[in-house]
Amino acid sequence: MSSKRYTPRTRLGRIVNTFEETAIAVLLGLMTLVTFINVVLRYGFNSSLIWGLEVTLILFAWLILFGVSYCVKVTAHLGVDAVLNVLSAGPRKALTLLAALLCLIYAFLLMKGAWDYWAPFAGFYTTTGDWFPTGFDERTRDRAFYMTDQVPMLEMFRWLEDAINYGDEYDKLPRVIPYAMLPFGVALLLYRFIEATVGIVRGTRSGLIVSHEVEDAIDDIAAKREEA
Amino acid sequence: MEVAVLFGLIILFLLIGVPIAVSLGLSSIIFLLVLSDTSLASIAQSFYQAMAGHYTLLAIPFFILASAFMSTGGVAARIIRFSIALVGHLPGGLAIAGVFACMMFAALSGSSPATVVAIGTIVIAGMRQVGYSRDFAAGVICNAGTLGILIPPSIVMVVYASATDVSVGRMFLAGVIPGLLAGLMLMTTIYVIAKVKNLPKGEWQGWGEVWASAREASWGLFLIVIILGGIYGGIFTPTEAAAVAAVYAFLIASFVYRDMGPLSADGAVGSASLADAGVPMGGKPKSLSAAAVDVVDARSSLLQKPWALVTAFFHRDTKNTLFEAGKLTITLMFIIANALILKHVLTDEQIPQTIAAAMLDAGFGPIMFLVIVNVILLIGGQFMEPSGLIVIVAPLVFPIAIELGIDPIHLGIIMVVNMEIGMITPPVGLNLFVTSGVAGMPVMGVVKAALPFLSVLFVFLILVTYVPWLSTFLPTTMMGPEIITR
Repeated sequence: MSSKRYTPRTRLGRIVNTFEETAIAVLLGLMTLVTFINVVLRYGFNSSLIWGLEVTLILFAWLILFGVSYCVKVTAHLGVDAVLNVLSAGPRKALTLLAALLCLIYAFLLMKGAWDYWAPFAGFYTTTGDWFPTGFDERTRDRAFYMTDQVPMLEMFRWLEDAINYGDEYDKLPRVIPYAMLPFGVALLLYRFIEATVGIVRGTRSGLIVSHEVEDAIDDIAAKREEA
Repeated sequence: MEVAVLFGLIILFLLIGVPIAVSLGLSSIIFLLVLSDTSLASIAQSFYQAMAGHYTLLAIPFFILASAFMSTGGVAARIIRFSIALVGHLPGGLAIAGVFACMMFAALSGSSPATVVAIGTIVIAGMRQVGYSRDFAAGVICNAGTLGILIPPSIVMVVYASATDVSVGRMFLAGVIPGLLAGLMLMTTIYVIAKVKNLPKGEWQGWGEVWASAREASWGLFLIVIILGGIYGGIFTPTEAAAVAAVYAFLIASFVYRDMGPLSADGAVGSASLADAGVPMGGKPKSLSAAAVDVVDARSSLLQKPWALVTAFFHRDTKNTLFEAGKLTITLMFIIANALILKHVLTDEQIPQTIAAAMLDAGFGPIMFLVIVNVILLIGGQFMEPSGLIVIVAPLVFPIAIELGIDPIHLGIIMVVNMEIGMITPPVGLNLFVTSGVAGMPVMGVVKAALPFLSVLFVFLILVTYVPWLSTFLPTTMMGPEIITR
């Protein structure tokens, strides 16, 4: 199914969209630069950024966690549309709606997991219950003292020492910072899936998936051919 | 039994239009919640660690980025010009040049559909101008484009390597001979067809043109040297090689070819490719280079705009390329991260081992097993994006293959070749769709057009499956024998 390229409708939508696209570009650009600079340092200056690899991996995780919700918004996630394409509009919409509900369940479960994983590092309580949060677990073991292996502490996060680490100084960046993208990204994902589900119900969206990665490029070529 | 339910759920979810990543993740999560005491927190942790804990997978964004910079237009056109200069004078020359160009482009990019788009947009139009039928042109490119995932560097191979813990370097080396062989088989077939049907051939334009076009294309092709030379020379890890390649590709695209960024003709990505692509051959062999000169004139040199050294990093084109590559990385890694959750389930439940034992008891040998793998992948490959399929199937069949004494590298190449064929077989081969879009003809037309060459690839698959030497010779010679740890 050919998808129209995403264009935000409102002013806020445009700002958010620009922010998301820029963030994706910057995260990927930083990963590449840090890795490249480390190679140059190794061969050119016989030294290295000791935190280079760890930061690159954190940025990698951030890129994906932050980006999945954007890709839901612009319908860029890959899927199988073979069956949907042969169905008529009615059953197709019903199945797509079911698919959207499954996505919501997925994002919800992951959201609980993301919180439960991150919370101890931030000095918060995890939730109780196996799959549905039934309350907060007050016996949660505090993990706020965990630090990254090599990433230097940034001055702007010094306030965390008093806030969650009983005033103890952090030598390295505490893990609460890199891990924070997990609940944040998954929350955005959940939000975008809700938005998508509403869109499908209202009929403003036709599906959740594209069948291959170059659909945009093909649309462009087709458009150019029509012009010619 | 539980396994059947698990895979049944995945397939059901996929068919009703749930994204691949969510299908894999949700089925695995349900399975884990019901059958084990794994907590959601540990699932979230493995989701995070899929990126932060996998150094090998880090190569994927960098390779995607390198090929994105290389696909901005000019490189494909220059490679095609070089191919035409080299083999254009043979019977069926432009078609052979198309295959040759696909092989070279495959060595710059790791993706098959991207290869079809980059080479196909230019070559198919050119072939029609000199009198090839549209079907023939589409059939050739559709098949040759699949080489994108076989000739290193290949994203699918990185995915296989990280799913099964074999070395990326070995996989890349293993793809070289099969890749060249597949290209050669396609070219020979075209040559024979051209002889029989008396298809048009171009004129030999002399060594001067070969030399000139080679020099133009060499900036792009040097990327292959960086990647392969860097890895096998022990200079970089594959991940670093990919990052260096990405930076190199950016510098070439912005400052040497000037197809994008502040020095480009009009700042629009991709315009150059169509400008000098509109007139390849057409009986006037000089027109391609002439058009290229026109484009050169419209660009500015670094001396005219020295500040471009800084602005190139922040230019709109650079940002767009980074963003597009980032988007593709996200969709692929979302699938892979979820597939890794599935891998946990498989490992925890010892599922592959159970199946392997059952197969051995039933008296199935390695050959029967490979046939089964071929069939599974051929069917799956028609419905799914290759990296996604590899991450699902590899953890399942890999332990079985090791149990049966099949070389892990050989298995990887077999899987990749299967993916290739899956991409060009109906009902849902991805390359078929892409080619249909690029050539502007219905999918069924492309299916028919691709058929003769598809049979060539089938012969190739059988060769690769039953002649392990093809895939294991280079890695074993250059990196020593494979050590298999069970």
